[in-house]
Amino acid sequence: MRLMGILIPSVFVASLAMAQTGAVQPAPKTVDGKPDLTGVYQASPRRGAWDAEAPGDEPGVPAARRPGDVAGVASEPIPFRPEARARAQEILNRRSIDDPAGHCIFLASPRITGVGLFPVQFVQTPTQVIIMYEYLWSFRVIPIGGTHPDDISPSYLGDSVGRWEGNTLVVDVVGFKPGGWLTLGMVHSDALHLIERYTRVDRDQLSYEVTIEDPKVLTKPFTQRITLMLREGTRLREYSCAENNMDPAVYEKMLKDPAASSSFLRSPEKPR
Amino acid sequence: MRWLTALAVLTCTTTLAAHHSFGVAFDATKTVTLTGVITKIEWMNPHTHVYMDVKDTSGKVVSWALEGYPPNVLERTGWKKDVTIKVGDTLTIFGWRARDGSPFAHLREATLASGQKLFFGPPAGTGEGPATVR
Repeated sequence: MRLMGILIPSVFVASLAMAQTGAVQPAPKTVDGKPDLTGVYQASPRRGAWDAEAPGDEPGVPAARRPGDVAGVASEPIPFRPEARARAQEILNRRSIDDPAGHCIFLASPRITGVGLFPVQFVQTPTQVIIMYEYLWSFRVIPIGGTHPDDISPSYLGDSVGRWEGNTLVVDVVGFKPGGWLTLGMVHSDALHLIERYTRVDRDQLSYEVTIEDPKVLTKPFTQRITLMLREGTRLREYSCAENNMDPAVYEKMLKDPAASSSFLRSPEKPR
Repeated sequence: MRWLTALAVLTCTTTLAAHHSFGVAFDATKTVTLTGVITKIEWMNPHTHVYMDVKDTSGKVVSWALEGYPPNVLERTGWKKDVTIKVGDTLTIFGWRARDGSPFAHLREATLASGQKLFFGPPAGTGEGPATVR
């Protein structure tokens, strides 16, 4: 029911957007009548071309820009088990210095899907959907139909199997390596199970809704929703994360320096 | 009322940050504005680095290292490699100082010699990382 609470204002905001931006074109279809997800998208609440924020008058503060046309990212509160919540808060107290992404290690969705600075490309055939992520230069091949293989080796992005439910591509993902960071300090286990729902709402808008199950970390599943907007004219560019990654050395130096480490550590009693 | 609560969650939850939280190594409360001459540019992942000679108040030249967005993000937001900034150019930057006090900063906004301003890192209110679990 809480999810319904999230969806209702999203529909409301979307209605306002249509009034502001004019006609919204329908979602395209493939020759076999399926919704066509093909395209380059970016997590964003705004239609149209790339529209990163621009500097305003005050240093570091962006100029005002038009409001979002639709909902951006929405999440239910994370139903952590007590020990997982304590671990998550400790991670945030350490300002996420231990984030595997700092070492260029692959990330599972939804985190990799919601990184708004980097585009995502969908390639669709009648038997597969391939999602390519510029961030960390990783990809997933999602066969349509069938079941998970019985020889899965645990991986960072998991094993995906898709099926069409009406206009929605539903993807079941299992087989994760434990220890990946999903969101806000959530470190998932090997029991992570994602049920993803991709719906091309209209030509510009791809809705991504993911239900996250992890009984070793969560007391119950929870749902996140991210809007991906079509970015025509944007192409994926190579991102070789390890090319010049100075972060591990900087972090190691900071952890050995009492002044620096006391500066970045947040007080557990008084987090800023 | 429930959907109002949901809307609040929706508004507060921003798209996740990039490679890492800049708040680990840099202090958002210690901002710095510097003008200097570029000595080296590393247009590389996961972060672009610009090195700049800056004269301090005593006239001594200090070499600063400045870190920001990766090349792909810069190129999508108005920067051109070897065109927008070059070695020898004068640059003014606004950023966050490194927590260890060294001449190292997170370059948030750059002002070119022409006066044009461009972001080189996330704008205000982002990039420091969340403080509490919800």
